[in-house]
Amino acid sequence: MRLAPTPRRLALGLALGLVVALGAAAWGAARASLRAERGLAAEDAEALARELAGALEASGLEPEAAARELARFAEAHPGVTAARVLDLPGRALVASTAPGDTGEKAAPRRLGFDEKPLYDLGQELRAAVESNRAGGGVPRPEIEIRTGETAIGVAAPVAAADGEVVGAVFLDLARGAGPGEAPAGGAPSPWLAGLLTLAAALGLFLAAGLGVPALRRRPGLLAGLAVLLFLAAVAVFGAWAAAGIAEELLARRFVRLAAWGAVLGLALLLFVGLGVGARTGRALARHRRAYLYVVPALLTMLILVFFPFFYGVVLSFTNANIYNTDQPVTELWVGLDNYAEILGDTDLVRETPAGRVIDYSSFYWTTGFTVVWTVTNVAIGVSVGLLLALILHRKGFALKPVYRVILILPWAMPNYITALIWRGMFHSQFGTINQLIQIFGGEPVSWFDTPFTAFITVLSTNGWLSFPFMMVISLGALQSIPADLYEAARVDGASGFQQFRSITLPSLKPALVPAVIISVIWTFNMFNIIYLVSGGFPGGSTEILVTQAYKIAFEQYRYGYAAAYSMVIFLILFAYGAWQNRVTRATEGI
Amino acid sequence: MTKKTLRRTIGRALGRLPLHLLVLFFVVITLYPILWVVTIALSGQQSLAYVDLPPDPTLLDRLRAITPWPRTISFENFRSVWTDQPFGRWVLNSAIVAGATTVVGVFLASTAGYAFSRFRFPGRRAGLMSFLVAQMFPGVLMLVPLYIILVQWLGLGSTWIGLILIYATIAIPFCVWMLKGYFDTIPKELEESALIDGASAAQVFLRIVLPLAKPAVAVTALFSFLTGWNEFILAATFMDEELLYTAPVGLRFFVAGYSQQWGYFAAGSILVSIPVVALFYVLQKYLISGLTAGAVKG
Repeated sequence: MRLAPTPRRLALGLALGLVVALGAAAWGAARASLRAERGLAAEDAEALARELAGALEASGLEPEAAARELARFAEAHPGVTAARVLDLPGRALVASTAPGDTGEKAAPRRLGFDEKPLYDLGQELRAAVESNRAGGGVPRPEIEIRTGETAIGVAAPVAAADGEVVGAVFLDLARGAGPGEAPAGGAPSPWLAGLLTLAAALGLFLAAGLGVPALRRRPGLLAGLAVLLFLAAVAVFGAWAAAGIAEELLARRFVRLAAWGAVLGLALLLFVGLGVGARTGRALARHRRAYLYVVPALLTMLILVFFPFFYGVVLSFTNANIYNTDQPVTELWVGLDNYAEILGDTDLVRETPAGRVIDYSSFYWTTGFTVVWTVTNVAIGVSVGLLLALILHRKGFALKPVYRVILILPWAMPNYITALIWRGMFHSQFGTINQLIQIFGGEPVSWFDTPFTAFITVLSTNGWLSFPFMMVISLGALQSIPADLYEAARVDGASGFQQFRSITLPSLKPALVPAVIISVIWTFNMFNIIYLVSGGFPGGSTEILVTQAYKIAFEQYRYGYAAAYSMVIFLILFAYGAWQNRVTRATEGI
Repeated sequence: MTKKTLRRTIGRALGRLPLHLLVLFFVVITLYPILWVVTIALSGQQSLAYVDLPPDPTLLDRLRAITPWPRTISFENFRSVWTDQPFGRWVLNSAIVAGATTVVGVFLASTAGYAFSRFRFPGRRAGLMSFLVAQMFPGVLMLVPLYIILVQWLGLGSTWIGLILIYATIAIPFCVWMLKGYFDTIPKELEESALIDGASAAQVFLRIVLPLAKPAVAVTALFSFLTGWNEFILAATFMDEELLYTAPVGLRFFVAGYSQQWGYFAAGSILVSIPVVALFYVLQKYLISGLTAGAVKG
């Protein structure tokens, strides 16, 4: 890509970039100061409680360590008026900053009778954590928040290093007076300060650009200067605004927002400043008609495919779930945690008191199962389809059109209906397949009780549904083989098998390879069959990657984790696509 | 017919008997589930077991139990699924959603396909490739962000608009490639001469190119319709209200969980499948060539 920075474009880019970056920072600062005046809100309470619980995890609720941790926490968060740490098995108050817990009642001590509600709440949270961990059902909230007129109470469980819940923290947060209260005043408005910073940076840039002739002739240097000024302005303004925020939680939130703004602003600066924007504009004008035709489809795709995809990428770095999607993603940011959890779950076989069990929810089990599922299905589809095509293709094969019409039926049927029919046929009591087994003297099988038999059910369903496609493709390809090839081979004395190997198979290849590729992708993503026939039973062992992603999202409601899971599947599909593309050169000449 | 050729014909037929038996075996496997569903639909009851087995069944009893042949013919299930159950409403919902998907999909795909076929512009290759890539990825993977955006932000849960838009985008990539390939085969000279005769660009597209591409437009329309008519999981996730279910979600509703209304399910399935299967047989040639062309040629 050719870059064409000019002084004018750079100045415009700097101005636009700074407007975005400083605008975001000023907005963040304004929000923080508003919050500082009005007191903390419920969502802050949750974040604070999580933070304290996390910090206490390492202390093991040892009173001295816990007290130290609590003191540090109280200093960082002036908005917290009281914090208490409970040891649940010991029924003890480990540490406390509550005004009442001094002298006689100073921590550590046993809990009093009047504190039983606290203890009960802690036990409730512990039960919620344990039931959520066991999975299944709607997740229960692990944090309890009670919002009053002047204060917010929040409780969160504290886990030990091994994940067992051993305690709970209780925080009281002061809520400021309502929105009617006049602002404290004094500090300059962040908006004004941002505007001043912007003007200063822009002025410096113009002065340097116009005043120093050596710079004006060297757009590369000028571009460097613009970037430097941009970063300096953002850093200066950010540092100034952050210094004015006392509460650590709010400061952190401000920094994250400002960082996002800075990244976006820098991108804008480079886009406009380096002439990419101008070129895009020119191309748009020159190819007006073409873009006019593409725009409706592209816009729809942009809004409903590419933006959601990008949003999914962002979500995959968060711990978004059903309770917190209304919060900004910067609040839920967990970095690569989700990916680490998915890919790091390498303990496929677990030791339990009942002996060794395979962890069916492990990503690697599901991937392995998906691969086996795809390979066996495509193998069945290709071999049955090819076999039938070869038979039907024989010259003068009686009733061929009738056979073809009947054998193509499974493809024509909607696959969700097929799936539900087969599920009924595999019913353990009334299903016709168990009746058939009993005719031959066998015992009825509970199909969905073991992974292997459940696999048989989904495999037969999908095999039934997928062979017609291969049969039709093979029949079409067989018809296009010129008959004189075989004649020539016969004249040369080639046997039937030799003809098959040297003529039929090579001629089938150009049609079969893409058909196999497409059916690999279909089978890999064959959601309906798995979801409707076996439903992943038993214990998620017959889940394929896409159904697993769906269940994480809509049965466990872990949106962030599900988004990360989907991203991993995207990458697998993408790698497969790139590989098959290289193999077949499918996209040549478009 | 001479004796010799007669003998040869008979000989060949006998020689092919094993092959016919093999094909017949697959024909039985293919037809069995379908006949089974028809039998349940015609049995007039809800149970999976349309024959009551005696406590100590003989071989004959068991054989009868698995033979998919209706002993009594009753249209009670068909009548009742239509009148006592909201199935008619669900079919209507499906028809609305699939019909709107068709209109939106054909409009978006024909304009985009035309641009990709006729114009050379920056981003053309990237655009085409992005459609190809988008086709590879199943909608389920986009479900989480789409759910949050459409349901939680825009409040389009349990509405038709959300579902129609999603279905249209699912269908667009295939349709764009299909139509682009077809437009490529229409000679450019036709349009050029029309332009010289004073037609506007829009007239060229609407009056000349689109009518010439009728077969391809028909296939894209069918494909978009089938996408909307047959889709299950997105509809199941987005539609919470029972009255807004589409037919697939409704059919599942009959037999999901502890509900065992197999009679309704069977009758409904047959009603829903017949138009789809008929359409499939009419247009299978185009669908197949479209699918493989998309994969071969890219």
